[in-house]
Amino acid sequence: MNNPYLPILATIESIKPETSDTSTFTLRIDDAAEREAFLYKPGQFLEVSIFGAGEAPFCIASAKHGRDTLDLTVRAVGRVTKALHALGVGGQIGLRGPLGNCFPMEDVYGKHVLVVGGGIGLAPLRPQVHEVYRLRDKFASVTVLVGARTQADLVYRDELEQWQKLEGMTCLTTVDVATDGWAGNVGVVGTLLPQWKHPAAEGVVFVCGPPIMIRFVVRDLEAMGFAAKDIYTTLEQHMRCGIGKCNHCMMGDKWVCLDGPVFTCQQLNEMVEYQQ
Amino acid sequence: MADIATTCPFCGCGCGLYLHVAEGRISGVAPSRCHPVSQGRLCLKGWHAHELMDNPARLTRPFLRKDGALAPVSWEEALSAAAAGLNAALRAGGPQAVGVLGSARAANEDNYALARFARATLKTPNLDCSHRTGSLPTSGDLAALEASDLVLLVGNDPNEEHPAVSARLYRGRLNGSRLVVIATRRHALARLADVFLQARPGGEAEVIRTLLRALLADQRSEALAALKASVAQASPETAGLSAADVEGAARLLAGAKQVALLYSSSLAALPAAATARTALADLAAVGERAGAKATLLELLPRNNLRGCLDMGVSPDRLPGYASLVDSVPDLARAWGADFCRVRGLSAWEMPGKVKALYVMGDDLTRAPAAPDLTSTFLIVQDIFLSPMAQQAQVVLPAAAFAERDGTYTNQERRVQRIRQAVTPPGEAWEDWKIVAELSARLGASMPYMTAENVFAEIATVVPMYRGVSYQTLERAGGASWPADMRGPFAWQRGLQPLPRNGSGPRSSAEFPFLLLADATLGPWDQETSIANTLTVAVEFTLIGRDYPTGMLYLHPEDAKQLGVRAGRNVQVRSARGEASLKVLVSDETPRGVVLVPHWQALRLGVMEIAAGSETERPVLAPTPVAIKSA
Amino acid sequence: MTSRLLLHSRVEEFVARLLRAAEVIAPRRTAGGDLLYGQISAPSEVSWGYGIPTEPLKRFFMPQRDPILLFSQNGKLRVSPVYEDKARIFLAARCCDVTGLGVLDVMFSGQYEDPYYLLRRRNSLVLAYSCQEPDDTCFCVCGDAGPFLKKGYDQQWTRLEEGMLIEIGSEKGRKLAEEHADLLVPAELEHIKRRHLLAKEAETKFGDFRAYVAAAMRKLSLEEVESGVWDELADRCVDCGGCAFVCPTCSCFTVTDRFDGEQGIRERHWDACNYSCYAREASGHNPRAHRKTRLHARFFHKLSHQWALRNTRHGCVCCGRCLSTCEAWAHMPAAAEAIRRGVVK
Repeated sequence: MNNPYLPILATIESIKPETSDTSTFTLRIDDAAEREAFLYKPGQFLEVSIFGAGEAPFCIASAKHGRDTLDLTVRAVGRVTKALHALGVGGQIGLRGPLGNCFPMEDVYGKHVLVVGGGIGLAPLRPQVHEVYRLRDKFASVTVLVGARTQADLVYRDELEQWQKLEGMTCLTTVDVATDGWAGNVGVVGTLLPQWKHPAAEGVVFVCGPPIMIRFVVRDLEAMGFAAKDIYTTLEQHMRCGIGKCNHCMMGDKWVCLDGPVFTCQQLNEMVEYQQ
Repeated sequence: MADIATTCPFCGCGCGLYLHVAEGRISGVAPSRCHPVSQGRLCLKGWHAHELMDNPARLTRPFLRKDGALAPVSWEEALSAAAAGLNAALRAGGPQAVGVLGSARAANEDNYALARFARATLKTPNLDCSHRTGSLPTSGDLAALEASDLVLLVGNDPNEEHPAVSARLYRGRLNGSRLVVIATRRHALARLADVFLQARPGGEAEVIRTLLRALLADQRSEALAALKASVAQASPETAGLSAADVEGAARLLAGAKQVALLYSSSLAALPAAATARTALADLAAVGERAGAKATLLELLPRNNLRGCLDMGVSPDRLPGYASLVDSVPDLARAWGADFCRVRGLSAWEMPGKVKALYVMGDDLTRAPAAPDLTSTFLIVQDIFLSPMAQQAQVVLPAAAFAERDGTYTNQERRVQRIRQAVTPPGEAWEDWKIVAELSARLGASMPYMTAENVFAEIATVVPMYRGVSYQTLERAGGASWPADMRGPFAWQRGLQPLPRNGSGPRSSAEFPFLLLADATLGPWDQETSIANTLTVAVEFTLIGRDYPTGMLYLHPEDAKQLGVRAGRNVQVRSARGEASLKVLVSDETPRGVVLVPHWQALRLGVMEIAAGSETERPVLAPTPVAIKSA
Repeated sequence: MTSRLLLHSRVEEFVARLLRAAEVIAPRRTAGGDLLYGQISAPSEVSWGYGIPTEPLKRFFMPQRDPILLFSQNGKLRVSPVYEDKARIFLAARCCDVTGLGVLDVMFSGQYEDPYYLLRRRNSLVLAYSCQEPDDTCFCVCGDAGPFLKKGYDQQWTRLEEGMLIEIGSEKGRKLAEEHADLLVPAELEHIKRRHLLAKEAETKFGDFRAYVAAAMRKLSLEEVESGVWDELADRCVDCGGCAFVCPTCSCFTVTDRFDGEQGIRERHWDACNYSCYAREASGHNPRAHRKTRLHARFFHKLSHQWALRNTRHGCVCCGRCLSTCEAWAHMPAAAEAIRRGVVK
């Protein structure tokens, strides 16, 4: 019998600090066959074991759709994340996945895609941005809006600079509070929304960030005419098993690890815990 | 696979439970339905009692401090060092220079051997337990509680402190029993009560005096005259209540045929504890005189505080509560005639005054002032590396409740068995055995081969335990003290007059709020055994995580007036000092009063510290404070 | 296969034979008087009376503390699963508990299969024992979980005057009957008739809280429950978690790891959705910080049609154990009643 609790082993190939407490870990699955077989879609997550500390879910934040390596962008807040940060290049971890559902792709061909990321919320969106850009001919337009508290809190800064120069995609950044010679937009990420001029009825939004940011952005999006069913976000429950058995991630009759972590706002509105 | 029947090691309720054992490991627990305390129920702690075993944080070998750090050593080396430390102190200052602390968590056999070690081997009178409180007048049990038609809760919150008791309260209510609650915090049971007397902090005693005044109003008996006179000037206003408020409760009390009066150590955490305790005993006595059946129960904070005190772990009592000068031929026969019969230091007086301190499963660090142990040779024996053990010169690993046989005595005076289900980890030994080994090295060997041997001696020496043996304890629920033998603190001793005990703290223009260190909030938070469980530790550390500098209950109206929102920090300032705490807006606290969980209040440096009214344990007195947005 | 009859005089021999084949788990009375499912070592240890064992069968398929992975590092890091691979026969299993196993079967299969549970399940033989007398808190009739089962068992035994009527419910049950055919006789029509009569009689004895539970299910599913009901229940719950632990269908767990660099183990442990940190996220945000939201989630999970649709039946087998184990008054019957009548002013 296949054992979905059994992790495969991977090694940390490189570590890139993003902010003072967040780094991107690039992992390589040890076994060649397992590496070959590993296929994921943007939005999915992994259950990562840091042996000795425990296991925790992290969204796949890879830039490339290729199979050789995987990226995780992780903030050191708790036992497992701090233990991950304490490992160096060459450290061995365990992986289970890919788990969960994914962002829509074919279903939203032809639409104007709007991606809104706040702080580390850009991590689960990153694979989606890359994939949407790769297939940009299938979409009416691609816009990415990125915000953070300050410049130092932006992740993937090198990539953001590139995104701002790409053809076929509009990328705008902003910070809540300007520091250190920041010459760009100042204001919460919602302040960039008025620059999006396409018809909301033909748009689809992928938004991630701190809960309070999502709340305000969704409010602004709805004011712009977006329907709740066209706004997608990811939930961050602290799954233990990631496979619908431990039930920690249950919201109503939905498992965030099976039915999510990607949900539309319409689905969130049906969850008692999000009705505020 | 086997199911071993044992007793829960956490609070004073003493619930019966089974440990499921398979292949030398405990895979889980189940409550015992036939057990008179648990009746098929367990609380959050009891359901996870098995997590104390097979636990990576357990002490599995002895340690000795070398070059400032604790290093693992053999039993031989550790015991030699312990004996040497004790001998050095004895040589330098005689028996007065050593101290011994017993445990409200360890078994009767352990505490008895320790009392013998202190008085007969070391010949020291400095023997105590940090959980010791004043007299424990007590009569009745949980069955009587459930059958009562009126229950009075004073200052405690069973839902937080003794869930097995809560179960009786909820079930009793379904059968029509009435509930009166006297407390500062409007907790769940207060909300359910027929009468809730929301007393200002420390006002509980005054409320009971007022109740007595109402109850005795029509009484002309001589026997009650002194008591009646002493409560004539009761002023409920100082407790924040009116006489009319209290009269409703008095009427309910007067009409009841069977009453139960419950309180806990949360009352002992207040300066006026002795008065409140006497007041409750008087209330019970008055009720009985009027023909009602009265149950008076102090709900105890630990599984074996009762047993620990029964075994004489006390600076001023011998086993069985004999006074230091009583003739105790059975004890002399067992211990030798020349054991120490002098009154010793209390646990709180020992640091700084003794040169060597031997601590069995106790911890003085959870106190208003951290004990100064820098010049003390400290030997600590425990199952985990407690904050106390972290400061020791010698650390000795003990066996936990499921790893040995023994007995605990619960708050209802039930003596119950704990039974071995698995072997102790590593080199951990049973507490009494460690005591006996140490005693042998100090020249006085003890004749015990098993825990049962120790208990057999207890049964000859401690009057309340006469006739009890491991055989008679086979039945579920164990054996209770004989009902007519309540020790020297039987509350029927007399109706004690109750003068007012001081005027209590007053708020002022400078310090308009009264801050209470609430011992019913998070009573087990950060407690060593609980913090070392595998899964539920987080339940007991959440307040610490979400409110790291302290949690402050603030009434919504007060919050509005101060312009403060939930989750924000405020500066709390008293005459003693100030601290920053995070606000929890709640209507559980009365206006003008703010609450902090007791264990957090210990470290704030804001609260007034008062001498305990019963033992020398310092207590946090309700303190006038000023609050402003941080 | 047609039903068989095991005469009372032959029960002991039958059980002795089971003991030679596998571990046998049956209801037994402890010295303290409690009825628990436990391993028996002799036929005389089986308690053939009625009444509900304190705990359901789940702990034999998913122990409260269950090792699932071992870690070892000597040169190379290795992670290996820990399986319990033992043949077990469950004798005199209560119908509510067998129904509970059916719910757990669905929980542990599906998109991902749980090998730890499923291996134990595959290695087990479940002989149900129909109940003719209820315990104090039984109301299985309302949960369609007893006192007699229509399916879900390998064998179902019913006590008749002459012996145990054995109904065959699966291939495993049939094989067992064939193995011990020498101890069994065919059941007569008259025996079958009597079994059905006993079933009808028993149903009338097993409590009719039916109205409460059905009404509660409807209100919950349609979200017509006054929010004050949850406040009221919240004041009558102390978060002990007992209801989740004694429930035949609750299977929530949490996971712990330890690893000293050389050896380590990952274990799972029963968890309860009542606990305040149950839904708390790594960021510290807690969508169910208030007890009333947790109670709402719990009863929605147990009783809603939405949940039942995903799991082939609703989550309560109405065994009444939560009533016996609640440290306050917030168990299923209390909740069902509160939901049905609304807030009492």
